[in-house]
Amino acid sequence: MKRKLAAAIVIAGMMVSVSACGGDDGDDSGKNAGPDSFKGQTLTVWAMDGSTPDQWVKDVTAAFEKKTGAKLKFETQKWDGIQQKITTALSESNPPDVLEVGNTQTPAYAATGGLADLSDLKQQIGTDWTPSVSQSSVYEGKQYAAPWYFANRVVIYNKKIWAKAGIKDTPKTRDEFFKDLDTIGKKTDAEPIYLPGQNWYFFDGLTIGQGADLVKKDGDKYVSNLADAKVAKAMEIYKKYASYSKAPKDKDEATPQQAEIFAKGKTGAFIGMGWEAGTAVQANKAIEKDLGYFTIPGETADKPESVFLGGSNLAVAQGSKKQALAEEFLKIALSDQYEGELAKLNGVIPNKKSLETNLKGNAVAEAAAPGAAVGGTTPLIPEWGAVENAPNPIKSYMTAVLNGKSPADAAKQVEGEINKRLAQQN
Amino acid sequence: MSVQTRGTDTAGEPAVRKAPVPAPPRGGDRTPGAPSRRHAAAPYLLLLPALLATVVLLGWPLVKNGLLSFQNLNPRQLIQHLTEWNGVDNYREVLTGQDFWHVVERTVVFTAVNVVLIMAVGTLVGLLLARLGKRMRLLLMVGLVLAWAMPYVAATTVYQWLFAQRFGVVNWVLDRLGWHSMADYNWLGTQTSTYFVIILLLVWQSVPFVAINLYAATTTIPKELYEAASLDGAGGWKSFTSVTLPFLRPFLYATTFLEVIWIFKAFTQVFAINEGGPDRLTETLPVYAYVEGVGNQHFGVGAAISFLTIVALLVITSYYLRMVLKQEEDEL
Repeated sequence: MKRKLAAAIVIAGMMVSVSACGGDDGDDSGKNAGPDSFKGQTLTVWAMDGSTPDQWVKDVTAAFEKKTGAKLKFETQKWDGIQQKITTALSESNPPDVLEVGNTQTPAYAATGGLADLSDLKQQIGTDWTPSVSQSSVYEGKQYAAPWYFANRVVIYNKKIWAKAGIKDTPKTRDEFFKDLDTIGKKTDAEPIYLPGQNWYFFDGLTIGQGADLVKKDGDKYVSNLADAKVAKAMEIYKKYASYSKAPKDKDEATPQQAEIFAKGKTGAFIGMGWEAGTAVQANKAIEKDLGYFTIPGETADKPESVFLGGSNLAVAQGSKKQALAEEFLKIALSDQYEGELAKLNGVIPNKKSLETNLKGNAVAEAAAPGAAVGGTTPLIPEWGAVENAPNPIKSYMTAVLNGKSPADAAKQVEGEINKRLAQQN
Repeated sequence: MSVQTRGTDTAGEPAVRKAPVPAPPRGGDRTPGAPSRRHAAAPYLLLLPALLATVVLLGWPLVKNGLLSFQNLNPRQLIQHLTEWNGVDNYREVLTGQDFWHVVERTVVFTAVNVVLIMAVGTLVGLLLARLGKRMRLLLMVGLVLAWAMPYVAATTVYQWLFAQRFGVVNWVLDRLGWHSMADYNWLGTQTSTYFVIILLLVWQSVPFVAINLYAATTTIPKELYEAASLDGAGGWKSFTSVTLPFLRPFLYATTFLEVIWIFKAFTQVFAINEGGPDRLTETLPVYAYVEGVGNQHFGVGAAISFLTIVALLVITSYYLRMVLKQEEDEL
């Protein structure tokens, strides 16, 4: 701990000198942006559920307060209904200063004008951000957020149940995986896999794996692509997975929290984010020793299943009166030290290639990395955000297919709604 | 405040009346008129706090909502505080769309089913209360009040648990009773079954109000009337229809009226049970307004829908409103 603190001080010291060099980067509201000028202020940061490990919060807060003299307050938000909450917050006269924004939702917010232009900051600290992950924050040539971390789903499994079923090795292909699930179903009384009908992030990964996208361009506007045969194929794969689960077909992975179901020890596996293992352990400490991870296997052994590359960016509210202080925070939080620490603690992919060494030895990250290499996202267009609003028509599509509708019919059923949302003017 | 107190005082005691009246600074001829004018103002002054609260808490938001319904208001406009008037575009979009009329139809049927059930069950329970012995009446009363006092969201959560697919009590009981196919039944999977749960919840929540009201009404019926009726040879049913019912009628009208409003605008329960799902098939007008307005962040359209909801409610209740207004006139 002491050593960490010492390191933090050193880094903080370095930061001060760095920012002193680039001190004349525009005339943001913070005049005389010396450390003392921030005294008495409090910077509010909205972070999403699961994003910020306690240790990281502690370290970053210490470094931030040391450097700026201001206070730092983290407020954790839930993903459910977050878009409405952020919209309202950004419209207020006193919004949270820094916000974590999901990568697929960032273009929509950039288009609203609610996020501050961080192009200057990118010049200072972001020249080596991985371009593919920084791309979601660029709108009309300007950088509206800083890429923070990326993560993708892996299979989290219960080693005890797999051993009981007599399975020695983790599967390398999708068919092997299905066979293992079958074995678990036959040889144990556990549910082979918990997969609710509306885990649309997993489904999105499957569509990427089939080389398809959820929307397509029609002239100058976007329309639903669910009727595509490749999407139907992806949905069939999903359905096959779901056939090994008794999970509700009309719920997503967060209601109830799938990790908490898994934590009861009667589930062979689930498809989730690395941090969900932490949720499971929190619910039941005894599950920790049985946790295992592997990459979601693909069609063939040489190429794993594609995954949805979930990611989060850090944005500064345009309406924040503490722009300079917010940038100070971003410089600390995204510094190699703390970005690296976050990657290490949460097993997430950092925003720079050079920091990926932090993932060595992390079981989750090692399982996630092969999938990430063939991962993708939903289309990074401002129009997409509206599609994710509840009731998400992609989820309705999935439930309809799982309830026996043909993919084509289900696609037809929700197409109108998707197109309406994609056409929604801003 | 002091004016009010004085006003009431003067009404009661003429002797004090003159004391607070100030010396005639406004000319002697006005003095005699002043107390009675003040007297006339008292009711309005007493109404003022309530009126003020209504205007501030209801009137102002209503005006704001009305203004919003003529604007193109989406996240961009909201965040940047832009005002973009777009005339009746929102109304045109809503009224020409298929969805809206489906939802209206659904809401009307939904309201009718609920209100009929509530009134039938509520009346029966109310009459039961009147016939029960002291102890059982108290017990039933306590049960009713508890059901009534339960906060909406808490009640909704309890119902969600009861009807949960995998670990719900209802499925467990049905399974135990021999309906094994119900062991994993998904109550929120179809429109009908979701409505079944919602209606059960709403009826359960509303019956206490109707029952207690009607029980209170029965206590106002003079016992002699029943005696007279039985002397004239009236049986149970006859004395019910010719003695009990006429007394209950105004109460029945009033509670039906209130229940129509209550069910029509019920948002919390309908939304919380299944968020208007599956596939938006259980959205009633208030839920539809919320999903389109707040959920899809189409605030102007949402405002237009909510305004149309008020209009629809006025149309539905117009019959009762007219009756109530006429009754008032008759009484005057």
